[in-house]
This record gives sequence, C-alpha cells and structure tokens, in this order.
Amino acid sequence: MKPRVAIFDFACCEGCQLQILNMEEELLELLSVIDPVEWREAMSDRSEDYDIAIVEGSITREQDADRLRAIRERAKVLIAIGACATLGGVNRLKNHFPMAEVQKIVYGDAAAMPHLATMPTRAIDEIVKVDYKVEGCPINAQELSRVIRALLAGSAPATPDYPLCVECKKGENPCRYDYGEICLGPLTRAGCNAWCPSNGFWCFGCRGLLDDANVEAAEKVMEQYGRTADELREKIILFNTPREPGE
Amino acid sequence: MPQKLIDQSSLGHWVAALIAEHKVYGVQAKADRFAFDALTEADDLRLDHDVTILPPKKYFHPPQEILLQFDREAMTFESVFHAEPFILLGVHPYDMAAISQLDKVFSMDHRDRHYLARREAATIVVCDVQTASPEVFAGCMGHATMEGQSGHDMLLTLLDDGRYLVDPVSAKGEALMGPLAHAPEADQAALQARKRVWDRNRRQLQKNKLKMKPSELPGLLAGSYDHPVWEERAELCYSCGSCNLVCPTCYCFDLRDELNWDLRTGRRLREWDGCMLRGFAAVAGGHNFRARRADRYRHRYFRKGKYTWEAYGEIACVGCGRCISACTANIANPVEVFNRLLEER
Repeated sequence: MKPRVAIFDFACCEGCQLQILNMEEELLELLSVIDPVEWREAMSDRSEDYDIAIVEGSITREQDADRLRAIRERAKVLIAIGACATLGGVNRLKNHFPMAEVQKIVYGDAAAMPHLATMPTRAIDEIVKVDYKVEGCPINAQELSRVIRALLAGSAPATPDYPLCVECKKGENPCRYDYGEICLGPLTRAGCNAWCPSNGFWCFGCRGLLDDANVEAAEKVMEQYGRTADELREKIILFNTPREPGE
Repeated sequence: MPQKLIDQSSLGHWVAALIAEHKVYGVQAKADRFAFDALTEADDLRLDHDVTILPPKKYFHPPQEILLQFDREAMTFESVFHAEPFILLGVHPYDMAAISQLDKVFSMDHRDRHYLARREAATIVVCDVQTASPEVFAGCMGHATMEGQSGHDMLLTLLDDGRYLVDPVSAKGEALMGPLAHAPEADQAALQARKRVWDRNRRQLQKNKLKMKPSELPGLLAGSYDHPVWEERAELCYSCGSCNLVCPTCYCFDLRDELNWDLRTGRRLREWDGCMLRGFAAVAGGHNFRARRADRYRHRYFRKGKYTWEAYGEIACVGCGRCISACTANIANPVEVFNRLLEER
C-alpha cells in the first residue's frame, strides 16, 4: 500500500508547494510511490486520513496553531518544508515589532476583525514535533525528492551540517567576499548546491544558520572587508530572526 | 625526445588541432579568476593564468562521482568507471606535484580503480608559471618548476623571446606533437633560456616566505601540539572547509547512497569531504573525535606537515596558496602559522 500523503500550507507564498508541482518529469514517479490525498494547489480532494503530512508556511494565528496540532495528531510523519515552516522565514521579521502595530500597518481599519488577530510568527517545530525538515526559500525539489525516497526506503534522510561554502567551492564559484559583498554562506546550512552564489548573488541564509554557526567570528571578519557587524546582522535577520526565549 | 621551439601562433594552431581531435580541458577565465574547463576555442586557453580556483585534481577525484550502481533486492552492484581519454592543458608545476602525490595515495594499500582509470586516461600538459599569484609560495616548497619532478607528459615554457619551448617527456606527450614534429628543434640557447625562467620562478613564486625547509616541518610540528596559535586562530574559523576543498593534495571523501524512485536500485556517490568540517570526525553513537574548532584547525596543519610525511613521505602542501585566498576569515595561511611556530619554538 502506498503511503497516503497530505500537503498543507500556512502563512507563506505557497512557492514550496509550487516547487513540488515543478518536479514535472519526476512527478509521475513520485505518484508511483505515494498516494496524495490532499494538496490544495494541485487537487480538490480533501482528507483527514493520511500517513505523511508535508507542511509549508509559518504559524501566525492561534487558530492556525490549532489546525497544525490536529494535522500532527493525524500524521505518522510530519515534514516541514521551506524557510517559513522551518525558521518562521521572512514572516518572522514581524516579531521585531509590537503585534498591535503590525496588525494596524497590514490591515488598517480591518485590524480589529477577529480572524486577523495575529501573534508572533512561529516555525512549525515551535508548535508541534517535526520529524524532518527540508530547508530553503523556496525548497529545492531535488532535496525533497531525496528525503521522500530515503523515508520510504526506511533510512534517515541526510541533511548537510556544513556551511554553504562547501558547495560553492565544489562549484568553483568565485567568492562573493572578493566582490565586497556580505554573503551568509559561511554561516548557512548547505544543501541547495549554493544556488544563489552560483548565479552571482550572495547567500541570503534561507536554509537557516548552522547549529554551530560562528557568528561571533563573522562579526569580527566584517572589519577585514570594510563592513560592520551591524550590516551583517541586518542580513542575518531576513531569514534568521532569532527565536526569543519565551516566544 | 625532441624538444621543439614554436611561436605563439603555431601554439594556437596546435591547440586548435588538439581540440578538433581530442577531449581537451584547459585553463580559462572565470569571472575575474581562472578555472579549468572544457576547451572549445584555442583562443580561450589562458596559459598566462596565475592560479585556478580549483586545482586540476577535480578531473581525477571529482567533487562528486558515482562509484557504483546497486540493486538492493538482487543484492548486486556494478562499478562505474570513467575512462574517456582527455588532455589537460596548462597545469602548473605545483599542481603537477600534487597530482603525483594523489597518484601515490590512490595507489597505496587499496588501489582506487576509479581514480586510476581517470588518471590513466589523462595526458597532462604542464605549463611553467607565467604570472605569480598573490599568495603563491611554491618556490619555498620545491615545486616552482618541473625540475626533479615527473608524472606529466609534456612541458610548455614561455621563453623571454616570446617563443614556447615544447618538451614532450612521455610517449603520450610525444603522440600529441603532430604538426609540431616539423618545428625547429630547441637549441642549447633555448634550453638555457628555459633554465632562466625556472630560476626566476623559483625566486618569484615566494609571495609568502617560509623560513625553513619543508623537511623541517614534521620536527617543528612535533613540538607544537599545545602551541596557543591553534586556539587563537580557530576563534575566527567558520569550519567551512574552504581550505580543504581548494587544496590540490586534499583527497578525503565521504560516501552516500541514493535510491531511485523504484526504491530498489540506486547509486553510491563519493563526494569531497574536509577535516575542517564539524561532521568529518563524527562517528556512530554521536562521538566526535575533533568536536572543537581548534582541534580541527590544528589537525589540518599536522596532517599537511607531519602525518602525511610519516604515512607516505610527502609534505601535503605544494605552495599553491589557494587556501590563503579561499579563507574568508584570513586565518588559513600555512606559511604564517609555520613561521610563527618556528619563531616561538
């Protein structure tokens, strides 16, 4: 029996679901090993009976947290995909401001409507247990494909625990620091094959900081390039606004 | 074998003829740096390059390769070899020295047939350095020229009069001569001129100056295990492995299996690894033999200057200077570290 898979979205642009649809030539092979039962972007069926839940997006309202908890209860395995789900993503920038102010800026006169009540942005694993994460903004469909295959074969999917520089060097890219740019590659978890630097951009850090990212070193290193620690921190918070204690 | 003297336009015609008949990889511009890549136009070849971002080892020990295809149910596998003949154009002497080290490493104990198949398929044309890179110190490591070194098939040297001395040193190299067989033979004056280039390169490829002979490194390191330099420098280390990955003598790798969608067949991948990466010395059960940055940082120097010497008689540094430029934090200069150890011995 093929495992029943449901794909859910929370606060996000739904670009990660789109990446799954973009698998195109692999899509039929994917469907040969899984049975999708809910996937809003691709089908109209819905179901409360599934084995694997794939979740994108961050949690920004209490009612969404409740919905996520219900999904977790039904699923044997939960995979969080994309920066919003794994980190809180760009949405987490909101947490630098008072919630009332954020609500007013975004919704104006409608801010008081009950369904617009907002809370500080949370990643999926701040609400429920997450079994596997596929990082990135958007995710790399190849990585999700590897994770699903490993999972179905009963082995643990390997997530890189080294910086992006590894993939950048393997790709023989010139270093962005040689061009006076602040690149988050040395602090960021690899796995995207250095997508941005390979196309001439610095790394935005969308795959999250490494568990042992040497941010203190990076702050000191900025001086060598005529940049400041503040400039570095401004870059970091785009995807990696820290989780505050008690948040 | 006949050593020939040719002008630059003959060189261009010769390269064009090689491209027409063979798979050729040569040094080309990449942004404002240089890289080995498939050569399709003779004009793209940049023998005046200072240093390539990655060393030519990528053609023998690629960043990622498929070692074998397997079938989990049938319990069978088939090894994958890549043995399409190719020519490598423009390898610098220090990189040739590194390839010779890798030849030794991959032939020791278990002979690595994947590496050796590629190596045997290669014809290597070395070119003497025309432009010193900002951090090169091959002159301090004894690898500024091909004098006393082997492993290559042909040596090209740009002489001061603008002509190239073409020196085939193996049967493979001689087979490449083609139209050059009719070129004038290099006379004593040309050989003297090449010697001047070598003497100059030995002096000039010392942008960093090592204040000792390479053979003194094992002894120096033996007394430096607890030196404060390891902790001090490792403070700025990102553990990004850049110094490992761009190194022409680093050969460590990891293995990983990937399944196809049938969840039955798949492939075993070999990928570059590096001792500066946190997971490198992690083993089953969660123990990590070098969990601290400083431990990993120190290990790299000991590996380069002592352990490989003890294991197979080589200092695993040829002085290309790539680690120095690749290190974003500017802490990877081996000459600075070794000189400091010497001064504070």
